[in-house]
Amino acid sequence: MTAPASEAASRLIPLLATLMLVFQLLLVVQRMLITNIRLFALQSLALTAIAAVVAYAYGAWHVLVVAVLTLVGKVIFLPWLLTRLVRRIKIAQEVRPFVNMPASMLICGALTVLASVVARPFTSLERLGSNTLPVALTLLLTGFFLMLNRRKAITQVLALLTTENGVMLAAIALTTYGMPLVVEMAIFFDVVVGVMVLGLLVFRIRESFDSMDVSKLNELKW
Amino acid sequence: MNLNLLAIVAQTALLLLLAPLVSGVIKNWKAKLQNRRGAPVWQPYLDLAKFLRKDMVISEHASWVFSFAPYVVFLTALLVGLMMPLVTLQAPLDLFGGALALVGTLALGRFFLALGGLDPASAFGGMGSSREMTLSAIAEPAMILAIFTVAIAAGSTSLSEMVRVGQSSGWTFFDPAHALAFAALFIVLLAETGRLPVDNPATHLELTMIHEAMLLEYSGRYLALMEWGAAIKQLVLMALLANLFFPLGLAADGTPAALGLGLLWFCAKLLVLVGAVVLVETTNAKLRLFRVPDLLSAAFMLALLALVSTFLFK
Repeated sequence: MTAPASEAASRLIPLLATLMLVFQLLLVVQRMLITNIRLFALQSLALTAIAAVVAYAYGAWHVLVVAVLTLVGKVIFLPWLLTRLVRRIKIAQEVRPFVNMPASMLICGALTVLASVVARPFTSLERLGSNTLPVALTLLLTGFFLMLNRRKAITQVLALLTTENGVMLAAIALTTYGMPLVVEMAIFFDVVVGVMVLGLLVFRIRESFDSMDVSKLNELKW
Repeated sequence: MNLNLLAIVAQTALLLLLAPLVSGVIKNWKAKLQNRRGAPVWQPYLDLAKFLRKDMVISEHASWVFSFAPYVVFLTALLVGLMMPLVTLQAPLDLFGGALALVGTLALGRFFLALGGLDPASAFGGMGSSREMTLSAIAEPAMILAIFTVAIAAGSTSLSEMVRVGQSSGWTFFDPAHALAFAALFIVLLAETGRLPVDNPATHLELTMIHEAMLLEYSGRYLALMEWGAAIKQLVLMALLANLFFPLGLAADGTPAALGLGLLWFCAKLLVLVGAVVLVETTNAKLRLFRVPDLLSAAFMLALLALVSTFLFK
């Protein structure tokens, strides 16, 4: 761990974190389902890059395991799985949110500012850059908002995944370069298994309701 | 500020010559990416030469505004180009206003473009003008906010000064706020140059066209001026993205070596940007017109967050 390396890392990490934020905001406005999945993959790639930079610059090699897991799981496997699911159930490509796009963009902007204000007292705790915690909180909040705002089960799965990205980022930013490996792996496999189960569930919902619109699920008989 | 006549002439020549080439390269690469052979990169020069030779057909209902508009569009694009540092650190024309003058002059050109579309009272022209003004009403604030983000970091609204501060602080100049502003300005670039998610530059399909609709009544020399002006505006906006956010290799003095290196860097940055534009154009479908404000509102929000985050993330 040399001085220039950590200097460069402390520059690079906020930049990559902002990139994650940009992808999240694009996810909010993007209506095409496949592009949504690709944006999520790109966001996970940025997370992988952050983890790799942390591992390299601070010599925290167990973070590298997180990076590899994220790369394999969230950049390659889950997007592939979701894309296949979308293709197989032949759903309409467009996401139809409850709140229209400019309004949801405004709400997400407000959430971003809120997250920065909330995270402000903790900036002294952060070891990596001044904006990773605000971005992590923003990913959490906008992830929840996306989950509320989207009708289709599969987009809600995507929103859950971005929320999880936020948790990972917070873990890397706040704690001593990542949580214990066991916890990270547990979270990771939880999410992967969760998405697979949700994928099956989506398939079943689609089979029995001819739609993935979860707002139709509140009728007991159809 | 001294007016360096030689620099003005040189930059004007560069703008005039490079702008059609950039559009040509975009078209060619796009064709290549879609498995077509594509027109050669110098095709826009041939088009312009042909337009300049041809006679003009002007509607008898058109007033003087119709003939006046092409000159305004062309000259404002050129003027904006002269206010922008392309190869040298110091822009040739740095007399007033800086970034604000740039946005204002662009708006003047757009105003006359819309007037020129309205004046012959053809149905398509009016439609195109109305669409252009609607979209630019959202794109322009995003552009101003994005430029201001850089201006705050540099402590000046003069473009030359911004670029100079950027270059002296090296690559550390590019901080998170800049990343957000860059993303916003990239979307604005797509909208302002009539690129694919917003407008399709390749067709004259009446339902979708924006920029082409305003030019429908133009022919001959006027059309050449309009097209050339649009190409120069595209080059300037790309230069804005390239030089404002990555001010690498700009020539500090007028020595041939520095200028040559500056030109090389500039072309390299332009090619990367062209590649990005081509990639976006090939992978995205045209948005429905009423969906375009969604995209532009995203750009606006990104720019706003960029500006806010310069204060919040300090």
